[in-house]
Amino acid sequence: MADLKPILLVEDNPNDIELTLAALEKSQLANKIVICRDGAEALEFLRRQGPHADRPAQDPAVVLLDLKLPKVDGLEVLAAVKGDPKMRAIPIVMLTSSREESDLVRSYQLGVNAFVVKPVGFKEFFEAIQDLGVFWAVLNEPPPHRTDWTSGE
Amino acid sequence: MRSVQPAELTACDKEPIHILGTLQPHGFLLALEGPDLHVAQASANLPDLPGRPAADAHGKSLAEAMPEIGAPLVEALTTQLDHDGAAYLGVLTLETGAGPRLYDLAAHRSGDRTVLEFEENAGETAASGSLDTLYPRLRAFIEALHGASSVEELCGLLAADIRLLTGFDRALVYRFDREWHGTVVAEDGNGVLPSYLDLRFPASDIPAQARELYRRNRLRIIPDAGYEPVPLVPPLSPTTGQPLDLGQSILRSVSPVHVEYMRNMGTMASMSISILVEGALWGLISCHNKTPRRVPLQTRNACDILTQTFALQLAAKERGALSEQRLALGAIQSRLLGFMAEEETFVQGFLNHPEDVLAMANAGGAAIVTDQRCHLMGRTPSERQVRAVYDWLSAEHGGEAVHVTDALGEEFPPARTIADTASGLLAISISEKYASYVLWFRPEVVQTVRWGGEPQKVTSKDPAGGPDRLHPRKSFETWKETLQGRSLPWTVPEIDTAKDLRAAVLGIVLRRAEELAALTEELQRSNKELEAFSYSVSHDLRAPFRHIVGYAELLRSREGEKFTERGRRYVDTIIEAAFSAGTLVDNLLTFSQMGRNALNRIPCDMNQLVEDVRRKMIRDIPLERAIRWQVGPLGRAQADPVMMRLVIENLLSNAVKYTRGRPEAVIEVSREADREGEAVFSVRDNGVGFDMAYVNKLFGVFQRLHRVEEFEGTGIGLANVRRIVERHGGQVWAEGVLGQGATFHFTLPIR
Repeated sequence: MADLKPILLVEDNPNDIELTLAALEKSQLANKIVICRDGAEALEFLRRQGPHADRPAQDPAVVLLDLKLPKVDGLEVLAAVKGDPKMRAIPIVMLTSSREESDLVRSYQLGVNAFVVKPVGFKEFFEAIQDLGVFWAVLNEPPPHRTDWTSGE
Repeated sequence: MRSVQPAELTACDKEPIHILGTLQPHGFLLALEGPDLHVAQASANLPDLPGRPAADAHGKSLAEAMPEIGAPLVEALTTQLDHDGAAYLGVLTLETGAGPRLYDLAAHRSGDRTVLEFEENAGETAASGSLDTLYPRLRAFIEALHGASSVEELCGLLAADIRLLTGFDRALVYRFDREWHGTVVAEDGNGVLPSYLDLRFPASDIPAQARELYRRNRLRIIPDAGYEPVPLVPPLSPTTGQPLDLGQSILRSVSPVHVEYMRNMGTMASMSISILVEGALWGLISCHNKTPRRVPLQTRNACDILTQTFALQLAAKERGALSEQRLALGAIQSRLLGFMAEEETFVQGFLNHPEDVLAMANAGGAAIVTDQRCHLMGRTPSERQVRAVYDWLSAEHGGEAVHVTDALGEEFPPARTIADTASGLLAISISEKYASYVLWFRPEVVQTVRWGGEPQKVTSKDPAGGPDRLHPRKSFETWKETLQGRSLPWTVPEIDTAKDLRAAVLGIVLRRAEELAALTEELQRSNKELEAFSYSVSHDLRAPFRHIVGYAELLRSREGEKFTERGRRYVDTIIEAAFSAGTLVDNLLTFSQMGRNALNRIPCDMNQLVEDVRRKMIRDIPLERAIRWQVGPLGRAQADPVMMRLVIENLLSNAVKYTRGRPEAVIEVSREADREGEAVFSVRDNGVGFDMAYVNKLFGVFQRLHRVEEFEGTGIGLANVRRIVERHGGQVWAEGVLGQGATFHFTLPIR
């Protein structure tokens, strides 16, 4: 399944990583999951720079982006992606513990595709992650006009 | 030599009484000019002296014309006449054809002329006028003045002594009020003339320029009102062409109007002395005689001294009375300031001590009126009427710090209907920005005033077609006038105290405003801190609970079969506890956001909102539960839809929760009758209800009325409800009967 694009999870908290992986695992998605531990690394991955310079030229199916991150935070990553015509089409789902409305407003202003406040309840959390995975990785129709650089392989 | 022009009398105020150019005939006058003091003008009655015909005096130096006047007197005339008023120079004997005549000699300056007046000495009373005979009387008078306790008593003493000294039939003390009407406040008489005590005389009786003369020249005498005026020869100065100003003259003719007035009054002689208090005309002492009467100059000078002494004592008494009043009012004022400082608002300080508010201005009633509020104290007109006074005041006197009147109805005719409580008004404006006043009211004092004749003067048409001639009134028959719509006048200390109070109130209000600004700043700062705090709570506290729940769930699902019964219960409890802690954090955050986020108010369809919430909620309700929903027509309300949804969610989920044990739950949502621009909604259930004893705890944060194992919840839902409703400007309250159900009501502005 070479066509199956990876899911990029940008999350610094190991607990959240583990729980998110558990949830995604339960949803039985076959997509590869790439994990970046901070915003800077995520941008390097997306731009195929630094340690990710050699990665295959394939954009992730969806970026699950935590809002609060070391170095470059989630909002900055979001702004960089949505501000770059080459990356703008990549779906970004903001995942956050924050219930602050201002974050939500800001995220939507920057062009986020979805914003999810991580539920406290595990069942709800699982469902949310699974829904997201399924929606963005499987059901979401890719943008109709692919540019040359994405069809590299 | 009668070349006098009859004065054109169009109005008393315009009468040029100081340059009438005529004298009374009980003496003669020389007007001297130049360094040699030559005679420029003389009265037409200059006597022919043996060998010296009067007509020859003109142009001659004083020494030539009147050799009887010695060198020291001439020197005095050239050097010593620098003070206001006439100087008494002594007694002079002139050898006339009819034998020796005694003259009292007086001189004064008039412009660059020196005026020398020879007044025939009233020989018959000369003895009583000598200083030796006057001295004991003056001393006794001054001692009596010191002993007098009131202004009235002082005036009585003055009238009695002046009459005793002068022998007039009647002596009156006449006092001016603020409008220059006069009242006879003391009188002494022998019964020959009628009593004028307590009579009022209108201001027009003594016009402004006459009052100015009274002020400049304190003493006037008319020994015979039947006199023929004596003109000056020539009428104008040969060198300057100007008439002679006789303002300071002893012999000056009085206005023909005044003479007519005297004749009408039935008095043929009069003398008046001005009473000046601190340079201002306070009143007059006025003496009358039925028949002509002369009073020697020395006696008149004694009367003048007496009157001046009286005036000094009067000023001291009045000042004393004023400062006493000032002190008393000041004490009340500082007490009020204390009360004001204790209270949240100065208005409250006033309202709690109405007796002091009224006493401070000796008022019958008072009101504090602002754009929105109207507080009444004591005897006042109705709120509506006070509001009308307020409107008039803001419109007509908006810029004034203080407005005072003792006849409100004259300034503001609609106030005539409230004369019984508000004839007098003292108003202070107590805000620099808004129309806000403290108003003090005084009731009408119906005074029966006896006017000394009708206050309106009568004019008659000049048959020759000239301007209307003014006549003094003919009738002095007292007529009574009831002065209506007037209060006692506000005294200077009362007005000053009110002004001081105003300054203090403005000071306090200003300080409060500054304190409030500081408080707001502090509040904004702590709000920012709270924001930062809840932001970090939002991230950092929610996450661990989420992790605990998550790992415990993973543990249960992956390792659960290896657990003992007890182990599984432990894990379940961990999950439950962490979950409820996480939910609590979520609710707390909602609660804190409620205070911070702006309301986005729009007209909400309340039925739609309730239906949305209900639909979402019934998905989670176990199928076996029977719930009957009764939702009435709810209409629209002005609200933030997101927050209003929270309110309805909370109320409906409570209703569902607390009806859990009922075979059939009945949940009723309805709109009650509107009240004062507010829609009233209610949510009623037939659940477990609550004890009304705890109703006040219901809406507090973390207040729960049930054990946690009976009904789940964080105890913050109703606090949220209250906070949201109150932020919308509404109210929320509840009724409950234990075991029978509860009703929650809340209000929202309709628009």
